[in-house]
Amino acid sequence: MSIIPYFFLVFSVVAIASYVILAIISAVETIEYMKKNSFINYKEILSSTFSPSISIIAPAYNESLNIVENVRSLLSSHYVNYDVIIVNDGSKDDSLSKLIKAYDLIQIDYLINEQIKTKPLRSGIYKSTNPAFDKLTVVDKKNGGKADALNMGLNISKSKYVACIDVDCLLLEDALQKLIKPFLETTDAKVIAAGGVIRIANSCTVKDGKLLDINFPKTWLEQGQILEYLRAFLLGRMAWSRLNGLLVISGAFGLFDKKIAIKVGGYDTNTVGEDMEIIVRMRRYMEDEKQKYKVAYIPDPLCWTEAPDNYKTFISQRNRWTRGTIETLKKHRKIGFNPKYKSLGLISYPYWLFFERLAPIIEVAGIIYFGILIFLDEVRWDYAFAFIIMAYLFSVLFSIVAIVSEELTYHQYKKKSIGLKLVMIAFLEPFVNHPTILYSAIRGNIDYYFYKKIEWGEMTRKGMTKA
Amino acid sequence: MNDNLHIFESLKHYPLTIQFVWALSCLFFIFIILLTIYLKYLRSHLRVNEKKEAKYQEVYESHLVTYLYAGNDNEVFSSEQQVIINELKKDVADPFKRKIIISTLLKLRSEISGEIGESIDKLYIKLGLLRYSLAKLRNKKWDVIATGIRELTQFKIKAVHKMVLNNINHPKREVRKEMQLYLVHLYGFNGLEFLNVLETPLSEWDQIQLLEILQLNNDTQVADIKPWLNSSNDSIVIFALKLAKVYNQFEAKEELITLLNHNSEDVRINVISALSHLHLFEATTILKNNFSERSEEEQIAFLKMMENVYEASDKPFLLEHVHHKNSEIRLSIMEILKNINFEEYTLYDDDIKKILTA
Repeated sequence: MSIIPYFFLVFSVVAIASYVILAIISAVETIEYMKKNSFINYKEILSSTFSPSISIIAPAYNESLNIVENVRSLLSSHYVNYDVIIVNDGSKDDSLSKLIKAYDLIQIDYLINEQIKTKPLRSGIYKSTNPAFDKLTVVDKKNGGKADALNMGLNISKSKYVACIDVDCLLLEDALQKLIKPFLETTDAKVIAAGGVIRIANSCTVKDGKLLDINFPKTWLEQGQILEYLRAFLLGRMAWSRLNGLLVISGAFGLFDKKIAIKVGGYDTNTVGEDMEIIVRMRRYMEDEKQKYKVAYIPDPLCWTEAPDNYKTFISQRNRWTRGTIETLKKHRKIGFNPKYKSLGLISYPYWLFFERLAPIIEVAGIIYFGILIFLDEVRWDYAFAFIIMAYLFSVLFSIVAIVSEELTYHQYKKKSIGLKLVMIAFLEPFVNHPTILYSAIRGNIDYYFYKKIEWGEMTRKGMTKA
Repeated sequence: MNDNLHIFESLKHYPLTIQFVWALSCLFFIFIILLTIYLKYLRSHLRVNEKKEAKYQEVYESHLVTYLYAGNDNEVFSSEQQVIINELKKDVADPFKRKIIISTLLKLRSEISGEIGESIDKLYIKLGLLRYSLAKLRNKKWDVIATGIRELTQFKIKAVHKMVLNNINHPKREVRKEMQLYLVHLYGFNGLEFLNVLETPLSEWDQIQLLEILQLNNDTQVADIKPWLNSSNDSIVIFALKLAKVYNQFEAKEELITLLNHNSEDVRINVISALSHLHLFEATTILKNNFSERSEEEQIAFLKMMENVYEASDKPFLLEHVHHKNSEIRLSIMEILKNINFEEYTLYDDDIKKILTA
């Protein structure tokens, strides 16, 4: 029995040490990136005919509420050489008819290069008769899920790179030129995918597909998610990119080398974590081919998305993230601890296994063990109290470091009193969001092992605040 | 005070581990307080700075516009201009204000060209800003050096050419790149001489930047790209191929055709694209003859070329490869065949689909 407390202690110490190391590496990399980025002039790539082509692929399912505005936002990118492919994945609402009306669409004949098998078309492919919307293609197909819709987009696209995006994601006008840069700038390795920072748009003001005003949401749940995203993006991903150990590009927005994505078979339609799974598969392919490669990450905010604002949707989302992680790690377990896969197998995979996949289970086991000790009256309260306080203060400190990093880098939340609210939520989050995240993770595990048929789930769109 | 001492005293009786944990907790708590105070200061400082910057920007923009329109036909500064110069000179000594003055000058410079644009360049020197830019070149920090070179680029200061060239082998890529941009901005094609000695790869990003700057320069004297087509640095060859496309370098035809057998697949693909752009279709015979020996990417590039230059006599060649294992190639061939003879191939739409999905 006496070994058990040491197991929890060692796990906690290693977890904390890894967060601190990642945070330090992230900070160093971000400072370096910001310095280098101050010399970048994105204007040249905007007008150049040599800018590589990018297809923005956005699957849509029952997005009638905002689809017209969302597409307008996608069409207003400043990049010169891109097109937008909206894949209407068997929507049951009037998404397609709204698009047809808003963008003067007509059905066209189109020879699809079906390199990846997908569900068939429903009513077909549409293009606009209005030259102002010649970049837009709408594909109406039978429902097959997000991954299937993205694969259809890969088949339709004639571009060298594809940006896979959630249709309700508000893309910033310079997002494409920022995200294409790693592909064009890196000369010592092939960049196969790149991602950036996703910000939470809840309570922000949007007009005509443009972000006008950044506000802080009112509920603790949404505020906690903002803090969580700040920690993850500012103190984590930059470090993983530096170590070339990034296992996931956010499903909300990421840019991929189309050829490699198709070579590995596109998105897996049998997982709910398709965004993580394709990255692992692409990386594995490059390792097997013994080609030097990189999955890049840039710390610039590139798009704004809607986060769950109620517990039901939040739990459903985190449940899906957990199942996606389990599925991906299980599918690619061959790379785990395998020296053949270098940092992918020896650092990334173990980290994700222990500190993402198993951490909620270990935490709950720890709580149960603590409960047992209380019941048996075997708790050393002097130790327990000291460690609990230390763990809590560390989590608050880490969050505040993330908030300060945000101020020193992008300073997006300019309005008065938001700083204080962020600090307050740093104190509250361990009691508000964290237990829900823990519950969702455990539910995700249970659903994965015992209720395998659960799919993506639906997110009720409220729409961003209109100006 | 006595309570605090009592807490410390009681802690001493606990095991070392607990004392250590409590010490860490205290440290964390102190950091939390300090960071929260710092955060408050930082946000307020950023807010104040933003307002200050906006205010000074407005003031300097107004001064500079007045300055530009107060000019006369003589070379000499008018009295009104002199007043503005004296005002601005006072602020130049302050690093915060100097930064805003430079950024305002740059903003106006990018919006104005011709004689008025040149008067901004003169003002930059008159205000003594050149001195500060040159000082940056002597700094040890790479980002400061790069900033200095960029300012010299943006205000077209040719006189310090040699000082800038000292950074040709600077260990930091960003400094070398700023130096390259300086040369091309100021000397157009002549500035590309660094390609003769460049050993590091020239990234696609850098190539695009250089091409755009050259096009802005409107330099009609295009450099001789043939030496670069023979460079041992593949990225320079690819850049030269882009130059061949943009500046219609038909005279490099022989070199381009020779490059169809280059070691690098990337180079070969870019050559095909350049040949297509230049309508040098003599190459199609060569490419048709060894089509099967080329990589799939080259085959795709060649078929793209053929989409613009197909002839009915290409039908046998196309039919030979219509069952190619690569679906993109099959699709391209079918599109060309349809263009050659629409009626014949639309009758076989189902067969087309079978071929594509085979």
